[in-house]
Amino acid sequence: MPKHVKITDIGKNPGQQLTHVNLADLLPLPPPYDKLDEQPKWAKIKPEHKEKLECTLDDTIAVGFPRPKTKEEEQELVDKFLSGLEKLLTRENNWTFLQPLLLTLEHCAKCQTCNDACPIYTASGKNDVYRPTYRSEVWRRIVGKYLKPGGKFFGKFTSGDIELNWTTVSRLMELSYRCTLCRRCAQTCPIGVDNGLITHELRKVFSQEMGIAPREIHEKGSVQQLTVGSSTGMTPLVVKDNIEFIDEDMYDRTGIKYETPWDKKGADILLIHNAGEILAWPENPGAFAIILEAAGMSWTMSSEKVGYDGINYGLWYDDFQLARVALKHAEIAKKLGVKKIVMGECGHAHKAIQVIADRVYQGEYNIPRESAMTLLEDIVFSGKIKFDPAKNDFPVTLHDPCNMVRLMGIVEPQRRILRYLCPQFREMTPHGVENYCCGGGSGFAIMSGHNFQDWRLSVSGRMKLKQVLEAFDDYPGPEQKKYLCAPCSNCKGQLRDLFGYYNVWEKSRIQYGGLVELIVNAMVDVKGEFIEWEFH
Amino acid sequence: MAIFEHGDIKIEVDEDGFMQEPEQWNEDIAKALATTEGVDDLTEEHWKLVNYLREYYLKFGIAPMIRKLCKETGFPLKKVYELFPSGPAKGACKVAGLAKPTGCV
Repeated sequence: MPKHVKITDIGKNPGQQLTHVNLADLLPLPPPYDKLDEQPKWAKIKPEHKEKLECTLDDTIAVGFPRPKTKEEEQELVDKFLSGLEKLLTRENNWTFLQPLLLTLEHCAKCQTCNDACPIYTASGKNDVYRPTYRSEVWRRIVGKYLKPGGKFFGKFTSGDIELNWTTVSRLMELSYRCTLCRRCAQTCPIGVDNGLITHELRKVFSQEMGIAPREIHEKGSVQQLTVGSSTGMTPLVVKDNIEFIDEDMYDRTGIKYETPWDKKGADILLIHNAGEILAWPENPGAFAIILEAAGMSWTMSSEKVGYDGINYGLWYDDFQLARVALKHAEIAKKLGVKKIVMGECGHAHKAIQVIADRVYQGEYNIPRESAMTLLEDIVFSGKIKFDPAKNDFPVTLHDPCNMVRLMGIVEPQRRILRYLCPQFREMTPHGVENYCCGGGSGFAIMSGHNFQDWRLSVSGRMKLKQVLEAFDDYPGPEQKKYLCAPCSNCKGQLRDLFGYYNVWEKSRIQYGGLVELIVNAMVDVKGEFIEWEFH
Repeated sequence: MAIFEHGDIKIEVDEDGFMQEPEQWNEDIAKALATTEGVDDLTEEHWKLVNYLREYYLKFGIAPMIRKLCKETGFPLKKVYELFPSGPAKGACKVAGLAKPTGCV
């Protein structure tokens, strides 16, 4: 068992690590993944990084903030943190989540029911710092002591004690990147408190008020998307070249010829993919095009900067970045005069554009947005495409991306497709809105600096790996090929890394991929197999 | 940021060992970076891959799609992993002096 950590410990023992992650404490995995000595060993944080970067929370680094050199610098950061926190509690400075934030701060009964719903806390072997209630309780006590009238004298008794110093702030900064924002905790709370939201709001304080965010999601993520056109670094020229390659490659693989339409004014649908699909899983945008063409849909892609990358990393850490990207998407759709935007297989992009962007899309910008899941369901059951489900006769299970399923309620369309097209479809336990996160949510799947990858593959992804293996426990070995359907790029990145880390392809022969690949694989007009049974 | 030193070579790299200034790349740097990937000897096949990545990068400013890389070099993905055990992105791109891939890839 990990050593007990009290709330007040967060501000104590500067320079020393608050807690440790030991492989022996972690949730056991099913055989043959259960042998401790065969589990991947963690890379150690290099001594030069340990010396220069803030890393006194646990055994890893997500943000990698340089240690302040003087006490004055530390105090300045603490003051900025506190004023940022105060700002987020006002209407004019928190147009997205003020109400649920205030409710969460006021009403947590500290019953700790949410802890057991959290895959990170559970998989860690119940490490106190990973409780959904840990960071929110720290926040509550800071508000109670430092922001409420008379708090300095009475806060200790009314809210509980806490010491606000640089040690507290720097550990909170890292701790805000030890939760995937899956919000299983919020779902289970008997009074509707959303402790997951606290993580999100903490990230906002750090990014919006202090300019601190992991490089992968800010500088190389949303900033690069707004300047170059895509978080992947693809310019309009590169994306067109790549899609042309995919069009040709699809012809080689399926015998079906088509050309992806670009910037077609007045098309019914503007399809936006997570641009990572184009680079890393080209069969996904390729399969989308084959389906839309076969169904005779009027659609287009956009080659304008940002218009070909559906990601909106701001959803995870910064409302301003979220609004900038969301507005760009709407502007492009408006310029093209499309009837609606359809978001490809990307969970966070779904929630950003369909739900949160509602606050930004006023008047003429309020263009209808649809999930690819419902569009695909309509197409598959329209009778326009001939299918032979026997082509998909291998065990298939479904991963539910948190943003799309628990947080948006898109549960059944993808299942109706799988029940129809995959004779051996089986559910995981639990599934649907009670699913477990892949462990790569909220940006983790693209964060691998230092040894953060070890943390996200051993701790945050552990519960998912266990669930996937258990869903196929009737065919545990490599003799039978199996398919894990994960209709989300971010989840796929995490699953790929998990499978690579634990040798899942070699030991259990589980392939992972999206939904459209299974649809195309079942098409009568597609020659042979579309899915390639090779780990990638 | 960190400094990578190998023999006479001294370059700036990120925390995962990717070059910070890809324009400084040359063949000696490639050989030095390859040692960090467990590749002590760059064969003709290694160079074919590295040179393809380099040329693509100079033309487009980013790494190519993995599928394109396989198709245009004629190496199946398995072969790429044999040449560079940590794979096309983390291994081959690093040796070719490209920056670490970004976005959901």
